[in-house]
Amino acid sequence: MNRVLGVFSLRSQAVLLAALALLVFAAFPFAWMASTALKPSREIFSTPPTLWPTHVTVDNIVRLFAETRFLVYFRNSLTVSFATVCLTLLVSVPAAYSLTRFRFRGREQIAGLILFTYMFAPIMIIIPFYVAMRFLGLTNTHAGLILAYTAFCLPFNLWLLRTYFQSIPLEIEEAALLDGSRWQAILYVVLPLALPGVAATAIFTFILAWNDYIFARILLSADELKTLPVGIADLYNASVVDWGMIMAAGLLVIVPVAAVFVFIQKFIVAGLGSGGLKG
Amino acid sequence: MNDAQIAKDPAAGAGTGAFRLPQAAIGLLLMLPAISLLLLLTLYPVLYGVWISFFDKHSFFPQQTFIGFGNYVFLVRDPEFWAAVWRGAIYALSTIILQLGLGVAAALLLNEFFPGRGILRAIVVFPYVVPTVVAVIVWKWLLDGQFGIINYLIERAGLVDRPISFMGKDWIMVSLIMVSVWQFFPFVVIGVLARLQTIPEELYDAAKVDGAGVWQRFVHVTLPQLKSVLFVIVLLRSIWMFTKFDTPWLMIQGGGAETYIRTLPIYTYMRTFAYYEAGLGSAMAVVMFLALAGAATAYFRLWRREEYL
Repeated sequence: MNRVLGVFSLRSQAVLLAALALLVFAAFPFAWMASTALKPSREIFSTPPTLWPTHVTVDNIVRLFAETRFLVYFRNSLTVSFATVCLTLLVSVPAAYSLTRFRFRGREQIAGLILFTYMFAPIMIIIPFYVAMRFLGLTNTHAGLILAYTAFCLPFNLWLLRTYFQSIPLEIEEAALLDGSRWQAILYVVLPLALPGVAATAIFTFILAWNDYIFARILLSADELKTLPVGIADLYNASVVDWGMIMAAGLLVIVPVAAVFVFIQKFIVAGLGSGGLKG
Repeated sequence: MNDAQIAKDPAAGAGTGAFRLPQAAIGLLLMLPAISLLLLLTLYPVLYGVWISFFDKHSFFPQQTFIGFGNYVFLVRDPEFWAAVWRGAIYALSTIILQLGLGVAAALLLNEFFPGRGILRAIVVFPYVVPTVVAVIVWKWLLDGQFGIINYLIERAGLVDRPISFMGKDWIMVSLIMVSVWQFFPFVVIGVLARLQTIPEELYDAAKVDGAGVWQRFVHVTLPQLKSVLFVIVLLRSIWMFTKFDTPWLMIQGGGAETYIRTLPIYTYMRTFAYYEAGLGSAMAVVMFLALAGAATAYFRLWRREEYL
């Protein structure tokens, strides 16, 4: 016993204990959600509660698909998130390239403006935004929502992409220019070098659109248009809470986020450090 | 290569012909979609929001009457507004302090070596990237007054005689703060951890030689190094916590205790989308923006003064 304690000094024991506490704090809610989602109804309310389901069942998921519009919400979320990513990249990649490669009047002001708009929280722009969208006839459409997300992500995306483009030496591009046109230089030299930045931007935009509640809540009212966060919130509010089904919904919503997250964890951590996701 | 260099050396200028000023048009053209989106969908709404804050404006119908500062005068006299400001301040300040404490502690821990550190680093970030609605429903289930696991555990441990109604009026603010800290502390962890990894080991060695203990090393070596990253983290987290809408809003749903966590963003939303007073709602958004801009300016000033000391 003493030998074991000798190997693990008091300090490293304390570190391990603290790490365990942190693990429980961060992960237990997710574990409990997964456990509840896979339990039959009677086991959910049993005393004492079981962490590991004694009867693992997918009944909650089956009911979620059969009795609610979960799959419709899921498809809506996918459509809106992917469209937002595409539109965002289409708009912000050329703009960020322009900010780092061309000199024109007002360039610095534009950069400043971008940083300034980054300070706006959704609640501060949502009211006039809603009024404007109503005027344009874009409330209750996915197009309106996609525009909203694109505009909201844009400041940070431009900022992030700008730093990536800045890190690509001009000389490489100039060398490529000697052999071909500017478009070829961009396509075959600059963009491949900026790919990590473009990927990071795409991921942040996707997660923001996938997770957003407030814009979708305010802009969409038709049930068949709702995205997952709004759909689930309404499912929760609908009647007596069906915990098994709600937890199954929660579990399925974070699966895409988790999948993206595991593969590109490094990008996320690097970008989050610079304020990647607002919230 | 900058302008001056190009001017001095015509040959170099010719070599980089594609980057010269005449191409400014292309540069602007590439900017155009992004800038028009920003102007149209962010800056214009903000200015329009300021404009309609001077009107008695319905949220859905076009009718509006100019009332000058009427909305602002109403707010100053509205006890519910001040109560919302107060609740919002309690919520924001307590969550910011707890996030910072927990986040810095967790980052220090994750900077130590122990088995499974890499996995734990990934897991800790996770609460921050899941949708707010998931964070809230999971915690509502954990904290459920009848079947919640937390009530079961604290009852078993003999801490309470009967289950606590975490969503009731006495506890809802505490529950909301708990959920928010869990959801947002990873942001602090990421920022601080990234900075911790760049602190040179020699600084600690030197401090050890001088006989500094663990606590002294933290105060005199680690903290000064963390100052600049903490400055940014506190600024961003403050802006986002004072304007936080979705977490409190989703916490309120399905309970009878809404008035106890009705923060300023919630009150703004209610006035606009429940009472249809878009003018008044906009006035509150403007007040929020001005207060934050003022606080941010003061914050920068204070910081700079300290830099010179």
